[in-house]
Amino acid sequence: MEHLPLAIAQLASIEVLIAVVLGTLFGVFVGALPGMGTVVALVVALPFTFSMSSTAAIALLLCIYCSSVFGGSISAILINTPGTPQSAATVFDGYPMAQQGKADLALGWATVSSVFGGLFSLAILVVAAPQLAAFSVRFGQIETFALILFALTCIAWVSRGSTVKGLLAGSIGLFLAMIGPDTMTGMSRFDFGIDELAGGFSLISVLVGLFALSEVFYRAATGGEAGKAALLSMVGFRIAPWPEWRIRLTALVKSSAIGTFIGILPGTGATAATFVSYAEAARSSPRREGFGSGEPEGVVASESANNAVTGGALVPTLALGIPGDGGTAVMLGALLIHGIVPGVQLFQNNPEIMIGAFVTLFFANILMFFVGVLGAQAFTRLLRLPEPLLMGSVLLMSLVGAFAVRGNPADVIMAVAAGIFGLLLRLIRIPMAPIVIGMALGATFEQSLRQGLMLTDGSFLAFFQQPIALVILLLTALVISWPFLRAALRRCVAEGRRQ
Amino acid sequence: MMDRVPAVAVAALAAIFTASPAWSDYPDRKISLMIPFSAGGGTDVPGRFFAAEMEKILGAGIIVKNVTGAGGTIGATQLSKARPDGYSLGFMPVGTTTTQPHIRKTSYGRESWEPICLVAQGPLYVTVLEDSEIKTMDDLIALAKSGGVVTGGPPPGSLPHIAQAAVSKAYGVKFKYIPHEGINEVVKSMLGGRVTAAVWLGDAAQRFKLRPLAILDADRSAEFPEVPTLAELGHPVESHVWFGFFAPKGTAAKIVGVLSEACDRAVKTESFAANMKKAKRQTRYLPHAEFKDFFQRQFDRNGALLRELGQVK
Repeated sequence: MEHLPLAIAQLASIEVLIAVVLGTLFGVFVGALPGMGTVVALVVALPFTFSMSSTAAIALLLCIYCSSVFGGSISAILINTPGTPQSAATVFDGYPMAQQGKADLALGWATVSSVFGGLFSLAILVVAAPQLAAFSVRFGQIETFALILFALTCIAWVSRGSTVKGLLAGSIGLFLAMIGPDTMTGMSRFDFGIDELAGGFSLISVLVGLFALSEVFYRAATGGEAGKAALLSMVGFRIAPWPEWRIRLTALVKSSAIGTFIGILPGTGATAATFVSYAEAARSSPRREGFGSGEPEGVVASESANNAVTGGALVPTLALGIPGDGGTAVMLGALLIHGIVPGVQLFQNNPEIMIGAFVTLFFANILMFFVGVLGAQAFTRLLRLPEPLLMGSVLLMSLVGAFAVRGNPADVIMAVAAGIFGLLLRLIRIPMAPIVIGMALGATFEQSLRQGLMLTDGSFLAFFQQPIALVILLLTALVISWPFLRAALRRCVAEGRRQ
Repeated sequence: MMDRVPAVAVAALAAIFTASPAWSDYPDRKISLMIPFSAGGGTDVPGRFFAAEMEKILGAGIIVKNVTGAGGTIGATQLSKARPDGYSLGFMPVGTTTTQPHIRKTSYGRESWEPICLVAQGPLYVTVLEDSEIKTMDDLIALAKSGGVVTGGPPPGSLPHIAQAAVSKAYGVKFKYIPHEGINEVVKSMLGGRVTAAVWLGDAAQRFKLRPLAILDADRSAEFPEVPTLAELGHPVESHVWFGFFAPKGTAAKIVGVLSEACDRAVKTESFAANMKKAKRQTRYLPHAEFKDFFQRQFDRNGALLRELGQVK
């Protein structure tokens, strides 16, 4: 910590301050636009960093990274469209809250949870980065497989009432993830010889199609009545009273811990983290019956976890030079361009850069809170726009977002196709969330399974001989069988009483 | 209001007429440079350095477009179908241009490009972790003979995959190859003890503290002067990743001339050299005619290697 004064001195320049403020504002804004996720925000900013000092460049990118993850929750809550894939789980409870006229409250829950998650993971990053990085590499393909399997149980929670339909949707999602390049063979699958499909579906275009475009189509088809409820929503920003928070404190801390932990594992991803966190909260919460219909705890679980991933993902990025997710991969590239080599050497050679990054992250999270409070005033007013205008802009932004991710015009067509598909699903009442869960997790799920089987020479039994994997697999089995177990337990108790 | 309409018409006509010989004052508007991998990645970094110099020399803005997916083939396909007017250009690596067309059905091939110049390269190294017990190639081969070497790399058909197969063939041993998404995932597997060795670029060796056992090049490198070449060890296997500057086929000779002249100046600027050094990358320049020849030989040779590996479909 003897480098703290030097690091702060470096940060206390106009250039860095501007980078921090602009980066946070820009991140929240881009994150909130449907389709424009963290990676797009970072890529847009990347060329500007070439002419900056490395301290300012790192500050800018770190601020964008954190705040864009938070920004995603705004559109998830207000217009039923996650701004980033990481906020997909925020939709489950955030949007029902907005429909009940509690958009201001929902934004309050999301903002505070995001800031808490961000700071929680920062604390972990500062205290134990090298030790955790050493652990993270022990978490191999087999453990990843088990973890993703657990995350997939989330499908059950978001499709209550119609498990069969949920499983169907989840399978569609898993299948969509199989289209395109296959890492294990290098071949392109299910592309029917169409060049544009050789790269697979982009998660973002399917996401904006299923959520945003199908919403637009649906409202157009039903003459705009579907959205009436949201118009009554309160404008502004409101933080729920302390007793409300106190009973959800366990969920807040637990979700932050889950987010940080999964962030530390390179290649697992923030989206998986939110689903794991949501599934865990839904499993253990005393308010689990309300999940999916506007329970604030769902928003807390998702938003604290996805922001906690930021600090977690920086652990392997800074300590090993291995990026924890897509956003950190872009940042790593920027560091290399500035001649800074992340990894063990960074801790030894440039401690002031590390400390500077920590200080920046701290301020970024604090600033994010104020941007959330002030931004909510503007964002909630959006809902009072005449519906054709609001839906028109959603349509436009979604299509631009779908294109911007990979610069591929075919992605726009895929987004529209996903929108039409989403409309059909709404009409026959098949939940769409499981499709996104399946698709977001599908590639890692399949790849970790196949890599794991290659490592064990095709033995499934060996999966159960890894202690960490075994624990996660048992937990997964428990989650799946819990409803049956509980029913059985109740029967036993009831019989016991009768005797 | 009345006189504005003719003015617009005149401007439009003027634009049409002055634009007719497209190359006469090339470039007169922004040029798009397609890079088929994501921003900040292995191809993007030298590509952006190169674009910055070209921008200054050509006096026209260059917009870098990252069109990603499917081993770079999505971007390359787009570029191959672009109008060959000198305003759609690409910065592409060896894999996208010379191995992918053999392993999958791409709509582009050997004759789809006007290769302008070779800009950068990186020889591949056989690497293990720095604290590994394997100190030399002999140690690695001895371990492989007992069947204990797992190698990691990108999907089959990629250059590192071909290279590690060529090494194992030269030594007459077997490596168990586990495909990964990229070097980051491979290093994670190495640190976790699931993968023994990887054949990769030198900058990764520096970044992740890997120990290079041998270089797959004719000569030793300036970055690792103490690392022997495989030829010195009696098994002359060579493999480079390279990055070139391409235009779609059919680009007018005059435009190609302007671009290759600009390229010649760009790679020799001090700022380009300084940027490349900072990012620990190697510049390797081949002018238009030589690069064209080099590209076609590489295309055929990699095709032959892939057929040997049974990767050609």
